[in-house]
Amino acid sequence: MKILCDRTQLQEAFAIVSSVVPSKTTKPILQNVLLTANENGITLFATDLEMAVKVQLEAVKVTKEGKVLLPARECAALLRELSDPTVTLDSTDMRCRIESGGGSFVLLGENPADFPEEAKIKPGRGMKMPAGRLLQMIKETAFAAAREETRYAINGVMMDFGGSCLRMVATDGRRLSISYYNLDGGKGEFKALVPVRALATLARAIPDSSKEELTISVGDKQIEFAFGKAHLLSQQLESRFPDYEGVVPKAADTTVEINRSMLESSLRKAAILCSDDLRMVRFEVQESALRLTAESNSRGRADVSMDITKKGAGGSINFNPDYILEALRVCNLDSVRLDMSDDSMPAKFTLGESFTYIVMPISGT
Amino acid sequence: MVIRRLSPEVVNQIAAGEVIERPYSIVKELIENSLDAGGRRLRVEILKGGAELVRIGDDGEGFAPEDLLLAFASHATSKLSLLADLDHIASLGFRGEALASIGSVARCSIKSRQPGSGEGHEIRCEGGVVSEVMPCGCPPGTQIEVRELFFNTPARRRFLKSSGAEKAKIQELLYELSLARLDVDFTFLADGVEVLRLGAGQSLAERFAQCFGRDLAKGLLPVAKSFGDLHIAGLIGEPDLARRDGRQELLYVNGRQASERSAVMSIRQAYREFLMGGRFPIYALQIVLPPSEVDVNVHPRKKEVRFLDSRRVAGSLYETVRSGLQTSGAMSAPLGVQITDDMPRARSGFPALPPSLFATPLADSAPPPVLVRELSAPSFGEGARPFATSVNAKASVLPARPNPFRSTGSRFLQVHDLYVLLQVDDGLLIVDQHALHERVIYERLCREHQARKVTVQHLLLPAVVLLSPAEKAWVLDVKESLASAGMLVDDFGEGSVAVHAVPAVFKNAAPQKLLRALLPMDGESDAALRLEEQVVERFHSMSCRSAVMSGDRLNDEEMAALLTEAATLLHPHNCPHGRPTVLTFTSAELERYFRRRC
Ligand SMILES: Nc1ncnc2c1ncn2[C@@H]1O[C@H](COP(=O)(O)OP(=O)(O)OP(=O)(O)O)[C@@H](O)[C@H]1O
Ligand SMILES: [Mg+2]
Repeated sequence: MKILCDRTQLQEAFAIVSSVVPSKTTKPILQNVLLTANENGITLFATDLEMAVKVQLEAVKVTKEGKVLLPARECAALLRELSDPTVTLDSTDMRCRIESGGGSFVLLGENPADFPEEAKIKPGRGMKMPAGRLLQMIKETAFAAAREETRYAINGVMMDFGGSCLRMVATDGRRLSISYYNLDGGKGEFKALVPVRALATLARAIPDSSKEELTISVGDKQIEFAFGKAHLLSQQLESRFPDYEGVVPKAADTTVEINRSMLESSLRKAAILCSDDLRMVRFEVQESALRLTAESNSRGRADVSMDITKKGAGGSINFNPDYILEALRVCNLDSVRLDMSDDSMPAKFTLGESFTYIVMPISGT
Repeated sequence: MVIRRLSPEVVNQIAAGEVIERPYSIVKELIENSLDAGGRRLRVEILKGGAELVRIGDDGEGFAPEDLLLAFASHATSKLSLLADLDHIASLGFRGEALASIGSVARCSIKSRQPGSGEGHEIRCEGGVVSEVMPCGCPPGTQIEVRELFFNTPARRRFLKSSGAEKAKIQELLYELSLARLDVDFTFLADGVEVLRLGAGQSLAERFAQCFGRDLAKGLLPVAKSFGDLHIAGLIGEPDLARRDGRQELLYVNGRQASERSAVMSIRQAYREFLMGGRFPIYALQIVLPPSEVDVNVHPRKKEVRFLDSRRVAGSLYETVRSGLQTSGAMSAPLGVQITDDMPRARSGFPALPPSLFATPLADSAPPPVLVRELSAPSFGEGARPFATSVNAKASVLPARPNPFRSTGSRFLQVHDLYVLLQVDDGLLIVDQHALHERVIYERLCREHQARKVTVQHLLLPAVVLLSPAEKAWVLDVKESLASAGMLVDDFGEGSVAVHAVPAVFKNAAPQKLLRALLPMDGESDAALRLEEQVVERFHSMSCRSAVMSGDRLNDEEMAALLTEAATLLHPHNCPHGRPTVLTFTSAELERYFRRRC
């Protein structure tokens, strides 16, 4: 195999595919990226057996078709260091010579025939949407999924499509985030629980506010995202996702409208005085102000107030400030709405036209 | 295959195997008998590790000649006659099984003379065959000889351990038994050589040190606490005396050395933050409570007991050990689970006994002893004060280990980006910066945790946990206790419970995992205590993560701040994982080393 291509493009493509390469694995061959050259250009392919990413590059000159396995870490590092605009890859057997500028490097690879094959998904159900919109939905939800990967925690985001609406939902049991997208069309209904890791990789490949069309295809056990020259295929998680609609509170005793940036900065200040082990800020809804207080024996006490408009009874409720701050970070509204009731009932934050966030409070027993 | 009924002889031999497996068990049974008979001077002799001969002499009340005939009979005991008696056993023996078992597997003789009577009597028993009772000369009390153990079951005899190992084991047994009876004089001879002599009237600490090593004496802290009719007293070892095995974890219940899982676990829990993993504390603790609150009849060799209210016992032990470990005593336990006298006790359904059966003064109706000093079950005999007097007498003598940072001077130096050398009034300290900082953070977290109310993080959706029927029953049983510690659980039907809220300090931990971590092996320990344990566990890792690391360079202000805070520590000597934080050289040690002083 022999090709000549643009170094920056190759480097970017390489960075995307190598993000799925496992850093620790008992199958070392997975730490490689498969490069295939044919008359259409080249494709880069990597997988950790749970997900796979493929990126195509056209702006290349293929002098000799073929395949080669490149060690992901070394090759990515090398491409980053090179400065010449183009790079030549030339492989015979299992070694690949990379030439760029005055340098020449030989990477020892493994046999491409041993690399796992690209799985094909049986397309049945699916939908299309702008890639940038999906990126936004991922940001609005993925943070709320459970962090630890244990058999108890749901480390994925639910993609629930039906009735011309895609709902993405994530929860760690203490808060829950829902993002909606309405569209016309789309084939059938589907529900797929997608690993957070796959969505994070996908997010990395989508440029901000990209208008490019993205296609989602859903199989029995897998889900595929395709846009532009990139494909990502992931296993679906098999855990049962809770009935999320049931937890969205339908009514509230108190409703307040708060300036988002005020809330964010006040909350950040108050959170400084939480203790390390117990993160808790008190929200006290007064007549026309929201008062945030936090306290710790060893640090001291914070007390911040801001103007709000209020409907309903008022009252107070405690939250883990980190839960709220994480959500505010991905909120673009000027003003957010909080619907709350009892200090042991879920509270609802409306953080966008199609972005709702439910948080469970903290209380004394 | 033919099924045959076993002959009574064989049945006896099999049953004997339950009680008598080796010379060690003979010594144990015979010593217990002598103590039950009020013996105050005991002499134990063995030949060839006891396989050849075990001889025990006491100065107790002796056998009446007519009782001698029954001595080797199975189920013959003077200590228990009605079934109801089993509910409040105050003697060490109660089955009437020991002598019968020994008699069926060896050649035995008993010579006994009651103190008032002019002559003694003897009876023999070889392989279960009993002789007549004959008069003989002997000193007041009882002398029992057991020769040629397992002479009639050669297979068993072959399995006996080497005589050296058996001797060591018996010696250890004497240590253990003797600690419960400071009023008794013990002598032990092996192959004609006196191995051990423990004088009556020693203090607990003296005897402990004589048995287990003189160097231990300095590190033993006396403790004593009463919880209503439950009393705990004894010695606990400083954390740095901890051992790799649990062999000096000595627990006594009403004068009987016996173990109970949740009791042992709660003591280890109390020690936990002071001990490195894989280390076991050393202690000798006596629990005295009404005999009706303990079931001693659960283990064939009486090694274990069961408590009617094991949570109460475990909680009380935890509390006693915890407060004993407070060096200054100025502050309360960092994670005290409050045990109050009115703690609910699982007494319902316990049948009321007719008053006539409360023969022993220690039964329920008796007024509880007020002072620990007066702790003594009547069965110990007059004047027997297991652990008690010694505890109080020693309490003022043994100073708690002071916080070495209190006398800090202002001169210090960091070396290797890891240690801080520090001049103090009486010498030089070398501090491990990471370990000490860990301890500082850990205590800060504990203080804060303790100062505030329990806070719970409610869950959006209940976390459903699948449990075995026994586990589920336990969880629902301790529901209240869990709620008081911040975890709300409820029945969720068929084999499952639902967790609705968890203590807020657990931030992201999976509720299922938290609940599972509480599930006990024996179903009886204090649930709230276990939940607190999980909190402590979290604090351990939080403090480890945020402490300065080895390799971090500290400037003078940082060192000064660390050392100032160290002066306020409750337990400055160990990091939360039990590693030492500081190495001390006293001025005297330095002078000696440099030969400035002899
Ligand atoms: N050293 C002794 N002095 C006086 N009486 C004794 C002595 N040893 C045993 N006895 C009497 O012999 C009886 C039988 O003893 P044995 O050890 O077989 O049973 P036990 O002590 O009652 O119960 P266990 O089987 O639980 O030990 C005792 O109940 C006691 O009356
Ligand atoms: Mg006995």
